[in-house]
Amino acid sequence: MKTINIISLFVAGVAGLSAVGAVDAKDIKLLNVSYDPTRELYQDYNVAFAKFWKEKSGDTVTIQQSHGGSGKQARSVIDGLEADVVTLALAYDVDAIAEKAKLFPADWQKRLPNNSTPYTSTIVFLVRKGNPKGLKDWNDLVKPGVGIIPANPKTSGAARWVYLAAWGYVIKNGGDAAKAKDFVAKFYKNVPVLDTGARGATTTFIQREIGDVLVGWENEAFLALKEHGAGKFEIVVPSISILAEPPVTVVDKVAKKRGTEAVAKAYLEYLYSDEGQDIAGRNFYRPRSEKAAAKYAEQFAKVNLFTIDEVFGGWTKAQKIHFADGGSFDQIQR
Amino acid sequence: MLAGSLWPVLGMAQAVPATVQSPTPPTQNAAVANGAAASQLLSAQSEQAELINKLVGRLEQLEKKDAEQKQQDEAVQAAHQKEVQKLLGRIGELEGKVGALESGRVLPEIAVSPKDGPTANELDQKIRVLARNNELAAEAAEAQAAARAKETPRITAGASGFAISSADTNFVFKLRGIVQLDSRSFFNDNPYLQGNDGFYLRRARPIIEGTVFRDFDFNLTPDFGGNTVQIYDAWMNYRYQPELQLKAGKFKGPVGFENLQSDATLPFNERSLVSDFVPSRNLGIQLWGDLAGGALSYAAGIFNGSGDGRVASNSDFGDDKEVAGRLSFLPFKNSDLAAVQGLGFGAGGSYSQVSSNTAGLPSTTGGTLPGYVTSALQQFFAYNPAVGTVYADGVHWRISPYVTYTKGPFGLLGEYIVSQQAVVNSLTGARASLVDSAWQASVQWVLTGEDASFTGINPKAPFDPRAGKWGAWQFVARFAQAGLDPDTFPVYSDPSLSAESAKSWAVGLNWWLNKNVRVLTSYSRTWFDGGGNVNPAVSRTQVPPATVTHQDESVFMTRLQLAF
Repeated sequence: MKTINIISLFVAGVAGLSAVGAVDAKDIKLLNVSYDPTRELYQDYNVAFAKFWKEKSGDTVTIQQSHGGSGKQARSVIDGLEADVVTLALAYDVDAIAEKAKLFPADWQKRLPNNSTPYTSTIVFLVRKGNPKGLKDWNDLVKPGVGIIPANPKTSGAARWVYLAAWGYVIKNGGDAAKAKDFVAKFYKNVPVLDTGARGATTTFIQREIGDVLVGWENEAFLALKEHGAGKFEIVVPSISILAEPPVTVVDKVAKKRGTEAVAKAYLEYLYSDEGQDIAGRNFYRPRSEKAAAKYAEQFAKVNLFTIDEVFGGWTKAQKIHFADGGSFDQIQR
Repeated sequence: MLAGSLWPVLGMAQAVPATVQSPTPPTQNAAVANGAAASQLLSAQSEQAELINKLVGRLEQLEKKDAEQKQQDEAVQAAHQKEVQKLLGRIGELEGKVGALESGRVLPEIAVSPKDGPTANELDQKIRVLARNNELAAEAAEAQAAARAKETPRITAGASGFAISSADTNFVFKLRGIVQLDSRSFFNDNPYLQGNDGFYLRRARPIIEGTVFRDFDFNLTPDFGGNTVQIYDAWMNYRYQPELQLKAGKFKGPVGFENLQSDATLPFNERSLVSDFVPSRNLGIQLWGDLAGGALSYAAGIFNGSGDGRVASNSDFGDDKEVAGRLSFLPFKNSDLAAVQGLGFGAGGSYSQVSSNTAGLPSTTGGTLPGYVTSALQQFFAYNPAVGTVYADGVHWRISPYVTYTKGPFGLLGEYIVSQQAVVNSLTGARASLVDSAWQASVQWVLTGEDASFTGINPKAPFDPRAGKWGAWQFVARFAQAGLDPDTFPVYSDPSLSAESAKSWAVGLNWWLNKNVRVLTSYSRTWFDGGGNVNPAVSRTQVPPATVTHQDESVFMTRLQLAF
């Protein structure tokens, strides 16, 4: 009589079948969960990366995109949307995923250069041709009768940058928190429509023809000019604005589960390549690399930019004081 | 009325002196008494007059007050009348203005100058803002409704059963079931097997299955169809991904393509002779998965081991285990080569070392089942030698390759099995490794044009006579053969009772009223080599397999089936 060793058989079976499972398909799919106005950027970039990856590995990679308000997108990932990578509007939203869903480590920003922000942007004004209300700086926006179109800071990353830029304008001009709060309150009194995302705000301003000024992403303003013609709108760069740093990271647990770790990592790393940086500049994002920055230097106006760390002490603090339930934004909305 | 009411009071006062009488005798004090009485009378009269005066005064006061009240009432009434007149005047005035507005005239008192009112641009903006805010409110409501829908548990009912699931489908509870009412009618009845025609409940199984925490599936399937209730399936399955899954419990083992086919989709009432040589259910743990979009499937597991055609018992404390596995290929499944897309092939196999396991061998114990049986479930072979008892003792392995092909309404299946079983005769001590084999070839043709399949037909026009729809019709045919190792006889089986081989052909016509309801009809004929020696004087020859193999078996079978 010979007794079969169950454990050895089982282990052998697992090992053998794991080997079978390791034979991956050559068609790879990635899901990039991003914020509202990056559609065009990543449509452009995905083509370039797929070509790069095909040449490098022989695999065919198809990147699916998901766009929406940055905060909303972060919540979707926390709730189970299986993103291989996230490319959101602000670090706080990425932090929220790390903290609440624990899909990647809390120090994710250290994994890629420039705090994992391969490109930057800022907040500018888009006004109707001729600038009928003569809006030149932040203080012009709070005058009675001016219709301002930003998005809702509760749901939109861009809108949070807008809010902080307006607040920072007062601080940088010698005001204190009380004056800044009063200023921002006046600012939002002039807002007739609050969209959930930056793209929605653009629609409100451009297609629905509401308001006198769209306050939002610089890249979105350039895109509006490109798509709707410079004959209809003008960009106004305020005297001071905020340096917006949209971050990116691999969603480790999802990528591991889907077997896309390597390609997801390469996808984000390639954003820092010459081609990736060039695509960013081409799509009106301010590139990080000197080479691309020099190439697109004329495209972007020189503007006095302050950082969130400088004025607000970082995103965590800013979020808690201004955008958390009961925070400054809620207070001025009452 | 007040004055009138005083007179009874006054009358009563006059009567009072008459009722007051002195007890003193009149003869002794008459004069004194008369004087006192007069005095009393005067006093009483004085009091009476005073009272009358008071009452009259009071009466006058009340009459005065009454007059004042009347005056006040008249004043109030006059004021009301004045107010009514005023309101009527206002109504008339407003009616006049309404009439003027209706006729298109602008009233001077409500006219607004261009300087006072909003500009056309401002009005336009206000309208646009209102419209956009409404749009956003509608979008928000839609998003909220979608969010609520995401959180609301779902209840579904359909051809695949009834299910309740959490909104994210991570938790699912399904109720499915199968009921099969069969009939057998034997032609040229075997004189030793009278009374075997009739209806019987072949299967009555509620199937409870579902998922917990997204990746863990379960199934619990008891059967109430036989004379005893039995658990057929009780398993859990962890889906790491489709390619890698782990199943544990009691379920169909990986050997035998036909055996793995669902009971609800079999082309005939019973499986072929090939399935006689594989266990119906096994108890153990199995890794399995589908690769390359289902083009390759694999399964490998360790089981307690179970006898041919048997359902594993729910416990087994023996050390001997069986390993079993299979590989299945549908190499062109995802290709554009239509001619070979439906081509599949593969093989399953098992290996075990069995020690004196009486449960592992078919025998006459338990009547017609388990054992090697015909298409009508009649046992034609048993390890029942004239001398001794036969046990499984040693190596037992099975290999079963198969090939399938479907194209449009046509389907083909070819399956073979070879099984080697080491046995020992407990009395004589004789040992042998017996090699048995069986094969089948079957064909199906869906007459109504639906795609042939081994997982069921989906009628294009589900049965609805009122709409002139009659479901799908499927023609099926099969030839099968089983051969026992010649060395089996006579040491391990009595050749005069058990057949050395059985051959069978069958044809059938199946009516799929819809995906859930089916009517099967078939005729099959099975004939045997060996066996059939029935001697009424010898008790062991009066039961199967001798009685079954005594003559060829011709049987007409039907089935009414509801499966969901």
